[in-house]
Amino acid sequence: MAASCSGSSAILHKCVPFKSMCNMHQCSGVFIRRIWTSGSKCQLQPKLQSKSASQMVGVVALEIHAQIQAKSKLFSSSRVGFSAPPNSHVSFFDASLPGTLPVLNRRCVEAAVMTGLALNCKINTKSLFDRKHYFYADLPAGYQITQQRVPIAVNGSLSFSYLGGKKRSEVMTKSVRVRQIQLEQDSGKSLHDDQRSRTLIDLNRAGVGLMEVVMDPDMCCGEEAAAAVRELQLILQTLGTCQGNMAEGQLRVDANVSVHHPGEPLGIRTEVKNINSARFVARAIDYEIQRQIEVLESGGTVLNETRAFDSKTGMTVPMRDKEGLQDYRFMPEPNLPPLFVYEGVDTVPDGFDPAHVVVIDRLKAQLPELPRVKRTRLMEEYGILPEHSFTLVNEDGLMDFFESVVQKTKMEPRKLIGWVIKELMGNLNQQNLKVTQSPVSPEALAQLLNLLESGFISSSAAKVVFQEMWKAPEKCVEQLVKELDLGLISDREELVKICQRVMDAHPDLVKVIRGGNKKVLNKLMGVVQKESKGRADPVQLRNILEEMTS
Amino acid sequence: MIFLSCHPQRTLVIFFFLFQPTKISLDLVDKLERLALVDFGSQEGVECLEKAIRFADQLHVVDTEGVEPMDSVLEDRALYLREDTVTEGNCAEELLGLSKSTEEEYFVAPPGNIPLPKREERTAMLKHSEL
Amino acid sequence: MDVLDQSEIRIPRRHTGRRKPRWQPTVQEALKCEKSEKRRTSAIMLGLSIKEVSAALREGKLSATELCRKCLQRIKKTRHLNAYITVTEELAMRQAQEADDRLLRGKPLGPLDGIPFSVKDNFCTENIETTCASRMLRGYCPPFNATVVQKLLDQGAVLVGKTNLDEFAMGSGSTDGVFGPVRNPWSYAAPYRTLSHGTDPDSDWVITGGSSGGSAAAVASLSSFLALGSDTGGSTRNPGSLCGVVALKPSYSLLSRHGLIPLVNSMDVPGIMSRSVHDTAIALSVLQGRDEKDSTTVQAPDSHPAALPQEFDVRDLCVGVPKEYHAPGLSAETLSQWTRVAAMFERAGARVCEVSLPHTQYSIVCYHVLCCCEVASNMARFDGLQYGHRSAVESSTEALYATTRHEGFNNVVRRRVLSGNYFLLKQNYERYFVKAQQIRRLITEDFRRVFASGVDVLLTPTTLSDAATYSDFIQEDNRTRSAQDDIFTQPVNLAGLPAVTVPTSLSSRGLPLSLQLIGQRLQDRKLLAVAHWMEQQLDFPLIRFHDEDDVQDTKSERNRDRERTSGS
Repeated sequence: MAASCSGSSAILHKCVPFKSMCNMHQCSGVFIRRIWTSGSKCQLQPKLQSKSASQMVGVVALEIHAQIQAKSKLFSSSRVGFSAPPNSHVSFFDASLPGTLPVLNRRCVEAAVMTGLALNCKINTKSLFDRKHYFYADLPAGYQITQQRVPIAVNGSLSFSYLGGKKRSEVMTKSVRVRQIQLEQDSGKSLHDDQRSRTLIDLNRAGVGLMEVVMDPDMCCGEEAAAAVRELQLILQTLGTCQGNMAEGQLRVDANVSVHHPGEPLGIRTEVKNINSARFVARAIDYEIQRQIEVLESGGTVLNETRAFDSKTGMTVPMRDKEGLQDYRFMPEPNLPPLFVYEGVDTVPDGFDPAHVVVIDRLKAQLPELPRVKRTRLMEEYGILPEHSFTLVNEDGLMDFFESVVQKTKMEPRKLIGWVIKELMGNLNQQNLKVTQSPVSPEALAQLLNLLESGFISSSAAKVVFQEMWKAPEKCVEQLVKELDLGLISDREELVKICQRVMDAHPDLVKVIRGGNKKVLNKLMGVVQKESKGRADPVQLRNILEEMTS
Repeated sequence: MIFLSCHPQRTLVIFFFLFQPTKISLDLVDKLERLALVDFGSQEGVECLEKAIRFADQLHVVDTEGVEPMDSVLEDRALYLREDTVTEGNCAEELLGLSKSTEEEYFVAPPGNIPLPKREERTAMLKHSEL
Repeated sequence: MDVLDQSEIRIPRRHTGRRKPRWQPTVQEALKCEKSEKRRTSAIMLGLSIKEVSAALREGKLSATELCRKCLQRIKKTRHLNAYITVTEELAMRQAQEADDRLLRGKPLGPLDGIPFSVKDNFCTENIETTCASRMLRGYCPPFNATVVQKLLDQGAVLVGKTNLDEFAMGSGSTDGVFGPVRNPWSYAAPYRTLSHGTDPDSDWVITGGSSGGSAAAVASLSSFLALGSDTGGSTRNPGSLCGVVALKPSYSLLSRHGLIPLVNSMDVPGIMSRSVHDTAIALSVLQGRDEKDSTTVQAPDSHPAALPQEFDVRDLCVGVPKEYHAPGLSAETLSQWTRVAAMFERAGARVCEVSLPHTQYSIVCYHVLCCCEVASNMARFDGLQYGHRSAVESSTEALYATTRHEGFNNVVRRRVLSGNYFLLKQNYERYFVKAQQIRRLITEDFRRVFASGVDVLLTPTTLSDAATYSDFIQEDNRTRSAQDDIFTQPVNLAGLPAVTVPTSLSSRGLPLSLQLIGQRLQDRKLLAVAHWMEQQLDFPLIRFHDEDDVQDTKSERNRDRERTSGS
């Protein structure tokens, strides 16, 4: 199989150099846009391929490590916290002092069960912990506690959609199998000081709870993989089980990539590590697929190796590790009896306090609305387009913003969505702001749209006011409209005067209109609107102009 | 009294006719030393492993068809789960004080991602390091 | 000499505390030329049971500091035994003073307040060096106490030192540690010395057994009233047996392993060593119970009261005698003890029946594989980075690790690590590790079946024979020795059952012989009740050193005793 066996990746997440990681994920671009940057491999492939390998396609599986959002670590009561002084969140257990033992955090189990439920997994009511051995400076015990034999959740699926097709406006939907979700420990961080040829070890991250989500090789290109990652990220954020910030390493992706001719056995796979943004997921995988095709085309063979993605060059390069020699020597973790979770409160055995055990039904009842469901509801409830539903759901906080505006205005949601997607998101993206940082509140936007809806200002004037609101959020909408003198001219006489002035200045146009070409009336209207700074009511203006040119 | 005569371990006698002793190749010696980061020391060390394997091979005279492996005597006991609270960890100074090599608030390791040297060099390295 | 003959002459020893004639001469003592009673007084004070000495402390007949000082003196005097790695003299005196303060106020913390104890050096003790008798941890002072150590300290018990062992508890002789072998106190006791006809004690001393040999020697030589050992395959019971002390391996999961530097996590238990079953029961009631820091601990069964029943009726008892324990190499003397005690039970009205544990013969092989695998895993943390020994080689992380581990571990540890790594290789995992786990189940099932058939306890030898001389012992390699020495003790660890060894008599060489009782899981209290009954019938002698020379001490001790008595 192209997908790697479970749990073989922690080793590679360690090369965090002194230089800060590429600051990618800024909640900026709309999800769809992010995918575009990679170029759709699914479509690019045929162009890239020569005749001999014309049917060769990529096969991609993912292993995603998600840091569990919890106060304390998986097996110790030390704090989960980042950007703290080095080694300040390290317990005796985290430092592997001999004689210390693991004690499992219930919150981490609940997070894994919730994630499993959200990914349609079967939850194993009995799961087991194992030790996976390898030596690395930031793995103090010489082994990682993971779930190799019986993980907490198995056999799930992740459905996701993305915009594809020729015009990138078609919503493509895809489902990949989730083989398992396992609980395991994170490692510490190694900071390589090349100048003094040594490594500095910070164990703050050592022992933080991870969920490793293992997906089957059901994807064919970078775009699909990136969309899957993005969807998983959203689900985790919705559940609150992982903050999902890839740049901070809260969500880390390893991709298993191979190529083959459809119908033939899968090719030899490589594992690409160190991918720290959804965009890089797409780029790294597409690069790797193309590289493998080129290797095979030129008569070479693909090596089963681990490769790192270099975001600067956009290339993957082999990593030096024990591949081939490596043998993790798994064995059961003897210090942790089996982990039991219960279907319902009634199945909790006597002698256990139901408040202190993990009950699946209880967690199921607490599951929030998942992104997929949200999108469908938004489309049905508000009559908006699928792509709009994506943007609303994929941008953190945007849906709440939108629904809040909907509640406060008479304007139809279908009309209103444009304001949210175009004006609001446009401005936010331009300034790299999150929705929650928007200077324009949902209330203010609703007021503006109400003025527009009631005909007090024109649509073009509203756009001008919006930009002013952005600059001066402290001013109320009415005040701005007044200051800018953008209210509609309700006085017919005044409008007639302006029209007359314009007609006098453009006798040629008037002549054409009078000659029977009524279309030119629009041009004339445009000139009047320009003259009146968009303050003329279009319907009234048309009436007046029609009268005057007849 | 109830005592029978001394109980001979007959099956173990049969064993020595059934199983060939395992020989450890040089490659495997190298692999184990690299995985365990512990050295055999000498040919005697390798022979010691061969004996240990030979000893362990006695397991194979027992029929274990259909027997579930047993991890521990607590296999049916539910694991205790603790509350998600922070009660430890603020002890950097104490921990760093245990280490032979620290820099500011970090533990210090030599450069990583460098495989162990070849076997001959390794032997020299270990000999040299002998206290 | 026939051991049976010996025991007949022995004067019964009291356990109820009603009588106080512990210094009454045993046959061995009678063999020796007469000594004045005065010279024995120090040994008598130190030879009291916890119950007795605790009563003396409460009644003000004795102060904790005095008692502590005596123990420390005894430690110094028996330094040649090499029982202790670290003696915590200052701390002990401070703790004893605190105990005295409480005792004076009439508010002792419990039956262990002021009682000197020692701890095997593989239990973490806060800010006190904890070495595992390995170069790897030389100088390592853990920042926390093992739960069992903390529980004893919380009871006011006085820690006098950390005891010697085989490196990382891997061994059955207490001969394979970096601080050298432990000598069995009975090598210097009157009977052995007399019977060995004056040979130089430095040439014919016998081993303590192991790996908790230091703890056994500490209790046997009267420098500690109580000692913690650890028991993975017999490491508490084996030296307990060879040193003539009561040694309990509690049910797995009854005592916390937090702070016990592991050998095999799925089998390790803290062991309790003392000079009487009753003392062991007191310690057990203090130490047992769930620990939030150890996920493998369980609540102690409700049926665990602090004290043992004074009268125990053995007529309702069914004692099983496993026929497979009649193994090759079992000494005639041990067999004879086994027969004698079984008959004793029978005479007292217990039902004694032969039982079969067919898979027991494989337990040592099974243990060998599982132990190596866990050792390979547990030893992985010792790399020199965060704590412990660190090599000077800094060319790469792996080179540092390899040299640190080369320098830090002895041959025994290194070889087990390599064997374990071999068994855990992907291609060997099913063949060895899983296979051993399957056999572990068969062995456990054997015990379950026997107990389900109505057997209450099993009576077996603890070791094949009495202690070997050091020179004989070191002829074989560590693995072979463990295989021989652990055969009676090891199966119990695989099944997680409680077992206790009780000394029965001295052998013809003047060395202790012991028998083991095995109980049902978590029925430790019942097991001790049976052991208590057995002990009462047996009357094992208190040790007396060949060249006991306590005159000075005895005098001052007596004076102080008098002063204190008159003062209060």
